[in-house]
Amino acid sequence: MAPAPPETLLLTMSGIIKTFPGVRALDGVDLEVQAGEVHCLLGQNGAGKSTLIKVLAGAHQPDGGVITWRGEAVTLKSPIAAMRLGIATIYQELDLVEGLSVAENIFLGHEPTSAGFVIKGREARAAATALLKRLGHPEIQAHTPVGELSAAQQQIVSMARALSHDVRLIVMDEPSAALDPDEVDNLFRVVSTLTADGVAVIYISHRLEEIRRIGDRVTVIKDGRTVAVALPAKETPTREVVALMTGRNVEYVFPERPAAPPSADAEPVLRVEGLTRTGEFEPVDLELRPGEIVGLAGLVGSGRSEILETIYGARKPTAGRVLVGGAPLRPGSVPSAVRAGLGLAPEERKAQALLMLESVTRNVSVSSLPRFARIGWLDRSAERTAARKATRELSLRPDNPEARIRTLSGGNQQKAVLARWLLRGCRVLLLDEPTRGVDVGARAELYAVIRRLADEGLAVLLVSSEVPEVLGLADRVLVLREGRVVHRAPAQELDEHRVLDLVMEGSPTP
Amino acid sequence: MPETSRRGLLFGTAAISAGALLTACTSNEPEKKEPAANSQPAAADDKPGTPVTIGFAGPQADHGWLNAINENAKSRAAKYSEVTLDITEGSNDTAAQIGQVETLINKKVDVLVILPADGKALTQVGLKAMRAGIPVINLDRIFADPQAYRCWVGGDNYGMGVSAGNYIGEKLKDKPNATVIELAGLDNLELTQQRTKGFDDALKNFPNIKKVARQAADFTVESGQAKMAQLLQAQASFDALWNHDDDQGVGALRAIQQAGRDGFLMVGGAGAKSAMDAIKADNSVLKATVLYPPTMAASAIDLARALGQSKGVSGLAELEIPVSVTCYSAVVDKENVDQYLPTGFS
Amino acid sequence: MKQPASEAQQGGPEAAPEPPVLSASTAKSAEEKGGWRSLGLRLDVRNLSLLGVLAALIVVGGITKPEQFLDTNNLQLVLTQASVIGVVTVGMTFVITSGGIDLSVGAIVALSSVWATTLATQQYGFAGILFTAVVVGLGCGLVNGLLIAYGGMVPFIATLAMLASARGLALQITEGKTQIVTVNSVLDLGIPDSYVLGVPPLVLVFAAVTVIGWLVLNRTTFGRRTVAVGGNAEAARLAGIDVRRQRLYLYLLSGLCCGIAAFLLIILAGSGQNTNGNLYELDAIAAAIIGGTLLSGGRGTIVGSVLGVLVFTTITNIFALNNLQSDVQQIAKGAIIVAAVLVQRRTMRNGEA
Repeated sequence: MAPAPPETLLLTMSGIIKTFPGVRALDGVDLEVQAGEVHCLLGQNGAGKSTLIKVLAGAHQPDGGVITWRGEAVTLKSPIAAMRLGIATIYQELDLVEGLSVAENIFLGHEPTSAGFVIKGREARAAATALLKRLGHPEIQAHTPVGELSAAQQQIVSMARALSHDVRLIVMDEPSAALDPDEVDNLFRVVSTLTADGVAVIYISHRLEEIRRIGDRVTVIKDGRTVAVALPAKETPTREVVALMTGRNVEYVFPERPAAPPSADAEPVLRVEGLTRTGEFEPVDLELRPGEIVGLAGLVGSGRSEILETIYGARKPTAGRVLVGGAPLRPGSVPSAVRAGLGLAPEERKAQALLMLESVTRNVSVSSLPRFARIGWLDRSAERTAARKATRELSLRPDNPEARIRTLSGGNQQKAVLARWLLRGCRVLLLDEPTRGVDVGARAELYAVIRRLADEGLAVLLVSSEVPEVLGLADRVLVLREGRVVHRAPAQELDEHRVLDLVMEGSPTP
Repeated sequence: MPETSRRGLLFGTAAISAGALLTACTSNEPEKKEPAANSQPAAADDKPGTPVTIGFAGPQADHGWLNAINENAKSRAAKYSEVTLDITEGSNDTAAQIGQVETLINKKVDVLVILPADGKALTQVGLKAMRAGIPVINLDRIFADPQAYRCWVGGDNYGMGVSAGNYIGEKLKDKPNATVIELAGLDNLELTQQRTKGFDDALKNFPNIKKVARQAADFTVESGQAKMAQLLQAQASFDALWNHDDDQGVGALRAIQQAGRDGFLMVGGAGAKSAMDAIKADNSVLKATVLYPPTMAASAIDLARALGQSKGVSGLAELEIPVSVTCYSAVVDKENVDQYLPTGFS
Repeated sequence: MKQPASEAQQGGPEAAPEPPVLSASTAKSAEEKGGWRSLGLRLDVRNLSLLGVLAALIVVGGITKPEQFLDTNNLQLVLTQASVIGVVTVGMTFVITSGGIDLSVGAIVALSSVWATTLATQQYGFAGILFTAVVVGLGCGLVNGLLIAYGGMVPFIATLAMLASARGLALQITEGKTQIVTVNSVLDLGIPDSYVLGVPPLVLVFAAVTVIGWLVLNRTTFGRRTVAVGGNAEAARLAGIDVRRQRLYLYLLSGLCCGIAAFLLIILAGSGQNTNGNLYELDAIAAAIIGGTLLSGGRGTIVGSVLGVLVFTTITNIFALNNLQSDVQQIAKGAIIVAAVLVQRRTMRNGEA
């Protein structure tokens, strides 16, 4: 598509910054949307897409940057302000009231009324029917309770609600995630109808093939920054898009691998045999030896995290088993895995790992409490001393065991999680996206820590969507695609392009 | 109403002393273990008459008095071979009780006895029953509309306060500057306000007596203990105490015992067996209790039976049963406790 | 606290490998500080604001009714009245800290108290009553715990169901009658002859439960796990804590506290009645919340909860001594809840800033 003539320029966001305690979610994002286009927003989980659309929806206030709407600088103080301008957002979790009818949902908050408060139900239903017809879905009845509709139909209702306002821009956050292929086709028809009317759509999806089908232009963000603006969606090679999403923008310094890698004859500390979870991943076999780092590479949805959590017992396998030091673990039991010496640093650190109200010490000691206790009675000075020893070994900053964990930066929070397992004395460390939300500068330090732990005899299973991270840190790599291990090789025998080809295999790679 | 002539005939044969029905509320003849009403000669006619099905709907029996109401109704009905009592599961929920009464209407019982969880709220269903041709005996908590019942039988809350006030007044009338305190029942209920009003009005007859404190408990032993303990702490000395309810009185007596206090006169309310036992034993501050007799339920059954059999009340000249029967709140003290002991509920 | 904060500035990829001697000494002082704080009653801002409310109440009581209020008997009275609900509130504090709720406490107290005072139980005397009260409480707690931890029921619903059925069962046992206790060894514990150095046995039990509760919450693995489960159940699970077992124990604990409270109530009231423990659930939750325990879990304070109970009991006492009626008492109670929470939020915000 040719550069936009100024009169069709609808929205520009430039240099948007948004900081949360401990992490800078947006670090200068630029975005430019024209009237009537489908603009795709791409980025990994945690890249800042959700924050960006919340800024656009008026739900978050940016700390810096300029938003221009139809040529005028604006501030989006609240979701209502955004709605008044003509910006509607359709979130992944649809915000419909299931008990109300289609028409009631569409006109919720701005019902057509007489005398200011008597709702004109018939008028609302007629208007709703007209909107649904415009979206090409006359089969949805205006009086049906929304709870009785399918996910796809509910999405249409959400769009009709957006259109019931005088909307010029609709943001759709992963609209296809819950849809089957037929429904996706339907959705695309609706999107085309909208753009034909001059409405712009910001379309967020992980599925690159969808973006190729429906998108006009693509903006890629990574680590809170825009890494590519307005690429032509149809012409840009998939590999280039993926490389932009996953690729590094800083040369990471990876620690040296040990001179003598663990011998293949060494007794594996972790053995995974035919582990399966129907619908998530197919049978996986793998072995992990002390001192070894094994990486799992794959796109979002390839089953990486699921495999890790199933090994750990946080999900119950449908088949297969996990052995630590030769002894099988009780399937689906985290305590059993922890007792055997497994430790997990989960993907969503705040939601899955940290006790945000607590101090560093308590976050570190939480998995080792019995060690500091005699018949349940805690020796708190022993606890503090031991926790501090662990955090110091990882150079956690600040060096204050009483500091609240939420005041720490992402990298130091991650170190606290690692210190937890270090203190516990675990034998196998499962790391899920260990550098997610960690400042670029702090990553090298984390890499060094992970390698050092391996050198000290830990076995590490590493999941990362950043291909260079897996290749740089791991000794061996398993490549996953759609829940299947498609390739295994020593990291040195692989390069980034080869891995990207493997994870994308089957997709058209121009 | 059909068959007036036959009713007259039956009335003639009903020869029972005047007021027998009314004294069912305050039985005279002691008999152990059984509610006193059973030992009474039945009103109207003891002989089996035409079969009568009486529907009975009351609140949940979560209090000694309400439990006694149910037992009085049941045992009284059992006395009559021709009376069938259809008693519902008690409920404190207005909606649930309305449903229960409607079920009884649909079953086409001959007479309904209703002790409403809330008198005002059940008025409509009372009207409905009356319109359906089922006469309603309204027990104690009165409906808002007199058309909703054929006959009301109940206690006298105001009278209870008056009785208590007069009894205490008589005992203290010679004592200058006498002080009285009041441990009331649940303040949310109108009946508590009525009792307090009666008590205050009666005390006005005795200018030497002053009520110095009042606290409301909520008819439970626990609250009786708690509120009494506070009252005792607040009043270093007083001459008499009226406690509205003997159930909470168990707690009040416990608080008095715990505080090691005596030297005053305590009068209870309602007429629990435990209170009467204590009055008889005469070893505590509790010297009397003012009745709110649960035997009114037995009377209600008698009235229902008379209605169902188209009789009047023996001892009264009327051909029909009365429209309202108010039970007297007698004072039970050591002198007459043996008489009343069988009516005491636990 | 200051020194490590400045170290944070130099933190980052090039952080110093090992802290120098200076920082080791500051570390020691930090530990000492923690040790000092841990010895005290941990009077953080939340408790301070509530102590202020209590102090204000004492002033009001002392001014309006100096003779009756500032009196040993009255102190005994207030503490005795606080004992039953206080013990329940300690258990409730644990449950709320874990992110749960127990609406059945009042009903469990009622059921325990009537079961323990049936004629059959009373035959076994003191031990029979105590044993039955505690076992019934534990039994109800066990059912709650199993339904919530292993049955996947929401605590609100599971304990609401327990509330209904325990009250129903209590009514069935008593048939609405008051069960008078005739066991003298039980009754004697409620009268002044049994006071130990002027302290009523009920208050001793309350104090013991408070101290043990505080120690368990702050000094044991059990307490630490409770806080972890309440703060972030998923993180606790992934850290290897058996979250379900912990939840089971917590509702058992609440049931145990209800059983103890029921025994205290039997002593206090000299009887068992199915209406016992009326609205205890709301009083206990209110006391815990104004005490500073987070309703969403993850933070709990036994000291705060006990202060909350004392505030409520003192209000009732002052109002009764001044012969004010229950309508005014209820209004004041509502106002105090709002005021305490507002003051607490303000002081907390200032404390954090």
